[in-house]
Amino acid sequence: MMETENHRNEKQDKPTSPSRRDFIWKMAVGGGAAILFGKVGDKLLLASENTKQTREYLMVHVDYSKCTGCRTCESVCSSFNHRQVVNRESLLGLGNPFYSNIRVHSYNPDLDIPAVCALCPDAPCIRSCPVELDLKTGRKALYRDEKTGTLRNDPNRCIGCGSCQEACKIQRTDVIVLGPDHKPERICTLCDGDPQCVKYCPFNALSFAKVVPEREFYGLHPDIISKKLINRWYNTRE
Amino acid sequence: MRNQVFGYHGRLLDINLSTGKYSSTTIPSDDTEKFLGGRGLGMKILWDRLRQPGINPLSPQNPLMFMPGPYSGFPIPAASRTCVVTKSPCTSPVHSDYPYASTVSYSNIGGFFGPEIRFAGYDGIVITGKASSPVYIVIEDEKVEIRDAKKFWGMGTDLFDRQFIEELGDRRFQTCCIGPAGENLVSYACIIHTASRAAGRGVGCVMGSKNLKAITLKGSKMPNVADHKRFLSLLEDSRKGIKEVLHSPGFSLLNYFIIKGTASYLSWSSENDQMTVNNFRDTTFPDIGKIGLEAVQKDIWFRESACYCCPVACKKGGAVKKGVYAGVVHDAPEYETGTMFGANLRVSDIEGITKVIFEGDDYGMDIISAGNVIGFLMEAYEKEYIDKAFLDGIDLRWGDVNAARKMVAKIGKREGIGDLAGKGVKAISKKIGRNSDKFAIQVKGLELAAWNVYKNIGMGISYATSNRGACHQNGENVEVQNFRAMLDSLGICRFITYHSNSDVPGSGKNGLGSLLSAITGIEWTTEKLTEAGERIFNLEKLFNYREGFRREDDTLPERFFTEPVKSGPLKGKMLKKEEFDKLLDEYYQVRGWNPKTSEPGKPRLQKLGLLPT
Repeated sequence: MMETENHRNEKQDKPTSPSRRDFIWKMAVGGGAAILFGKVGDKLLLASENTKQTREYLMVHVDYSKCTGCRTCESVCSSFNHRQVVNRESLLGLGNPFYSNIRVHSYNPDLDIPAVCALCPDAPCIRSCPVELDLKTGRKALYRDEKTGTLRNDPNRCIGCGSCQEACKIQRTDVIVLGPDHKPERICTLCDGDPQCVKYCPFNALSFAKVVPEREFYGLHPDIISKKLINRWYNTRE
Repeated sequence: MRNQVFGYHGRLLDINLSTGKYSSTTIPSDDTEKFLGGRGLGMKILWDRLRQPGINPLSPQNPLMFMPGPYSGFPIPAASRTCVVTKSPCTSPVHSDYPYASTVSYSNIGGFFGPEIRFAGYDGIVITGKASSPVYIVIEDEKVEIRDAKKFWGMGTDLFDRQFIEELGDRRFQTCCIGPAGENLVSYACIIHTASRAAGRGVGCVMGSKNLKAITLKGSKMPNVADHKRFLSLLEDSRKGIKEVLHSPGFSLLNYFIIKGTASYLSWSSENDQMTVNNFRDTTFPDIGKIGLEAVQKDIWFRESACYCCPVACKKGGAVKKGVYAGVVHDAPEYETGTMFGANLRVSDIEGITKVIFEGDDYGMDIISAGNVIGFLMEAYEKEYIDKAFLDGIDLRWGDVNAARKMVAKIGKREGIGDLAGKGVKAISKKIGRNSDKFAIQVKGLELAAWNVYKNIGMGISYATSNRGACHQNGENVEVQNFRAMLDSLGICRFITYHSNSDVPGSGKNGLGSLLSAITGIEWTTEKLTEAGERIFNLEKLFNYREGFRREDDTLPERFFTEPVKSGPLKGKMLKKEEFDKLLDEYYQVRGWNPKTSEPGKPRLQKLGLLPT
């Protein structure tokens, strides 16, 4: 976390170079991970507060033992959230997983970890957003939709610094992707209260339920979850 | 305005590894309308580019093509397949004027690679030439890079799969690679995807000949569909239809067998005298209980994996939990691998079988051919056609999984006996001589698979008439063959069609056309689709015929006609040559081919639009 902060101070206006980001990431997963995740085992250590309200929100949960990696979730998410205008009518898109907000990370040995926004109570993404609070709304560029608990970005205020993406990547599930304008994209919308990934998962691996930060693997990066599960299921050292 | 073709990008990515140049080539819309995509379009391109017979399949000229179909990339349940099409390095005719005469090869692979080709904005990737040193190709939409692969050369496919993704630094890439077998030009080398999905039957050898270790890609695109609303509605019906089949108490091959993985066929096949055992001399395996579905389930598998948007997940992975092979992590034995490295070699140690399957996949070799080759060598050794010295000191006895493992390593490295064994049973029997070809179980030079033919002459017809050499997937009659050629060209998985709700869009027999119509804007009836299948099959045959393949090549190994089954309920039975010949006569008649030469007849070719106009 220290590194994220430092980094932001250094290069407030410029996007991070990939090599720099990779370096930070490797630090976090390697040595740094011990600091971030080491003592809490499979549970996430939250930075703060605000958990009471967040517990009332619903999110997409994954049962990793059931996921087969078919990526139907990615496709239906992309269709719903990346719509296509045909003859002036907004229709479901054709579902290229590139545009999906839920993304399956596949590993060897066979293990598939769908990563989706955890609606983190302490929202490191928002905390890392350097845009000042708007006095009227009380929001930074990145803010929480109070009704659903999902994260939203105000593109008019966003300066495209990429801090949110980095914060999520290093501290949490790594779901934020920066778009062509370097502004955050692909954050779970919960599909107007009916998450399509949950609805269409052929293996019932996904469920729509209350946020439980104490839940095993909650908010962890797929690489970290995979290391633990590969070790548990395949009994090999990774 | 450009005339838009729906359902296709209308372009191929053409990469020449000799020059390092690449370009995007337009696909004539007439070709997609006639040959769909996948296996069919690949065949058309092969036909257009190899204008003369006898071109060396391992020469830079031979194109290696990765061909998804018009279904690929769309989230249609199980539209996950892609076909690798090239000229085969495995096959050869009885007589030909050309030393390098061989058939076409098409090899179907699941996973995520085909859809990703379409996401990258192409309907196929065509690789020609030969790199001067090992390379891999990275494709990201329009961006194509050819990079040095020296540090990966020699690496097994499993380690490569883990290290390469780290090198790329992005798990969204989808990769096909070869292992040492492909690098060393084992004729039956595979192309491997996700460390366990394989395009077999020799295509990996062609990839190796190009010095191409891997090809990896990702993309942000999607072809347009002609009728968006109709497509969405059919897609919904497709998902619902398959869900119903899978949860229905009624019987279908899909919900009874496939859903449990093809390992579920192991016991069934042995109990019904259809299994490849003892280098094809037997049809049942006394130790089937030790390697069948229950054993696999109990001892090995605990994870299910699905290909792109597939609700079935027939791939079952796991690990060996006890014994000397504890710690081996791989796909559990399925029907072909479990039979060819198990029953066929009379190996009943399920953990050992899992280990040798892992090693075969890691070297990147076709386990059907490798199991067949080792079975042949075991028989030759038993009959003292060859001795231990011939086998570099390996005591290659039936049932000895460690001896089999040593052979796999020799083959993968093309070391000692492996140099010869890596060329397939036809070449080995030629070298050994003494009529050993009688028990070299191959057709046109390609090894037979895990389905025996003594009880199922239809499977014999499938092997004998397949355009890529002995192929169990070919189909037992003309109708089935045409249908499957069409499926391989759409990009849909054949397994998902194993149910009888024929109207389900995208998988029911009469539901394939409606979905393709919505995608392409061209009305596709079931008849028109199967006619496309017939056209594809005939163009493959024309290619083979030009190379010199005739009726004499459409046959079965002599064993099945002259040596009765050794044991089991089928003991004493063998195929009748007259019956087989009669079936073949009928086959050619239905095909409209000359029964003496097997030459495709002009009237049929005319009808299929395969004659120059």
